[in-house]
Amino acid sequence: MASLSFAASAGEALVLGLTTGPVCLASCGPVVLPWMMIQPHGIRSHSRQLSLFLLGRLAGYLLFAFIVWSLGASVPRSWAGRSWIFGGIQLLLAVALLVYAAGWPHRRRATSDPSAQLVQIGAAPRPRTSGALSLGFLTGINLCPPFLVAGVRAAQLGSLSVALLFFVFFFAGTAIWFVPFLSLGFVRRSPAFVTVARVTAVLLACWYGFTGVSILLEKVVYG
Amino acid sequence: MASRSSAISHPPAFRSIARSVLLTLPMALWSLLMFTPSFLQSRREQVIGAGIVIVFMTTLFFFMMRTGSTYRWRRYFFVALGFLFPVGFIAALVVERGTMSIPIERMVSGDTPFCFMVIPMIIVPAALTRTLIFPGSILPTASNPHSMAVMIGLWLALSLVVGKAWCSYVCFFGGIEEGFAAVARRPKLRRLDPRLRLFPWAMLLFIVALSAALFEPVYCTWFCPFKTVTEYAAVRSVETAIQMGIFITLFAALVIVLPLLTKKRTQCAFFCPFGAFQSLFNKINLFEIRFDREKCVDCTLCRSVCPTVALSAESIREGKTLLNCMKCGACVDSCKKSAAVWHLKGTRIAFRPERARLLFLYGTWAMATMFGGSILANSIATVVHFLPWK
Repeated sequence: MASLSFAASAGEALVLGLTTGPVCLASCGPVVLPWMMIQPHGIRSHSRQLSLFLLGRLAGYLLFAFIVWSLGASVPRSWAGRSWIFGGIQLLLAVALLVYAAGWPHRRRATSDPSAQLVQIGAAPRPRTSGALSLGFLTGINLCPPFLVAGVRAAQLGSLSVALLFFVFFFAGTAIWFVPFLSLGFVRRSPAFVTVARVTAVLLACWYGFTGVSILLEKVVYG
Repeated sequence: MASRSSAISHPPAFRSIARSVLLTLPMALWSLLMFTPSFLQSRREQVIGAGIVIVFMTTLFFFMMRTGSTYRWRRYFFVALGFLFPVGFIAALVVERGTMSIPIERMVSGDTPFCFMVIPMIIVPAALTRTLIFPGSILPTASNPHSMAVMIGLWLALSLVVGKAWCSYVCFFGGIEEGFAAVARRPKLRRLDPRLRLFPWAMLLFIVALSAALFEPVYCTWFCPFKTVTEYAAVRSVETAIQMGIFITLFAALVIVLPLLTKKRTQCAFFCPFGAFQSLFNKINLFEIRFDREKCVDCTLCRSVCPTVALSAESIREGKTLLNCMKCGACVDSCKKSAAVWHLKGTRIAFRPERARLLFLYGTWAMATMFGGSILANSIATVVHFLPWK
């Protein structure tokens, strides 16, 4: 009987992940897209970076599952301190995007192509394991609507292990939607292409920074 | 170096008046056909507006045929369109609502007029979730004739014909900055970092990704400079006040100050994400501008007059423009060696360039008359309506 409910929960989580995956994709897309675009050309490097990103995201999911199961489903909705957390996550995302995707700040002065056709902003940042993991983890704990639905459901489950498993299957359902990002590996890289990706990362970092500050200011002003 | 205005007015060759009239005749007939419904209306203002536009568009086309130059005559139309569009649009809003701002209730009821700028932002959410993230109506309604279906259909049809030339013959925003860019005789600010021309692509990626994540057209709610002269969400909160501040700052900087200083269309060249998106149509459009390397002396005059920085030393060496060329004709008109030529894809370079220009202009000017001409006629009718001595 226990194994039946276990399987039912897993099935429910997988279906929930598959059906809400497009929303997860749209929600995490702004972070994944510039990150993948600055990676070197080739399916191998893209597979590695996407796997690391998803691994970080899974870690975020499991942490969230642990918290909601421990503290109850009402936490994400009614906990007074959530603004600090969500505002903080947005700010961390902004910093991570700046550091990892845009390659800023540079310790050394960046070298540029000296030709008149200058299109590259300094040296492109090297792909880093910590970058993919950090961005994955931060998007993993950044709440989006399907994630909240899964959180509420996981909190109602009988044991921690089932709640964690629920999120593993939910993650598996949503992760499939990220596979198309691998196609970026086939796109040939030019300095202009990488520059566009990095400027996009800076713009997105500014946006997340603005959102984070807004949330925190709102909390300070209105309580 | 010669000033830019004198550089562009270099005339390739004059045609006889009779031949020019003959070449203008199809366009005159097209204009008449386009505005016949206006003549059948009882409103005198509409008739006056349509009459003025027919004469205006036909005259400009005649001078294009007579002088062989494109840029100068196109600019008269385009600047008129840019400055008159807000007149008609704002007047219509004020008459209907009493204000330029759109209240949230009207947005919820789908009464926001659809603007082509939204198109790149609605594609991903529509593909992923079958949701149209714009507070407008799909089909025309009595309260909102500018529906999504009508505008997207028009945009697609026009884009297939004119390609990126949309940005210099159709867009009703670009004329404002082109007007400001034409004011000074010489640019005060000459050195522009060529990397800036990549910014519209980054902006495009940014707004497409963010619009999909937030389920709202982010560019319209946060970054469109032209909200300043069209329509914006009613300022009822700190957030909408910040948005309004961004609109005004971007408009002042990119549409007024920088074009005055640089004589470039800075908003189009360095910011507009729709322009970047529209550049993709240059891949499939039949017409382009090429450089005859045998005639080119690398004087760089074409580079200095290009209003959107769509030429680089490398691209000219390859005999091409960059992808963001909007075919305004400034480089062709300025080239004293006739090295910059209109070109029909599939033919050899400099093969009957005037014929390629004619083919391009017939299609593009017809579309400009149909789309921009209607806007002009409507705006002129509005002006006539409010004339005190009418």
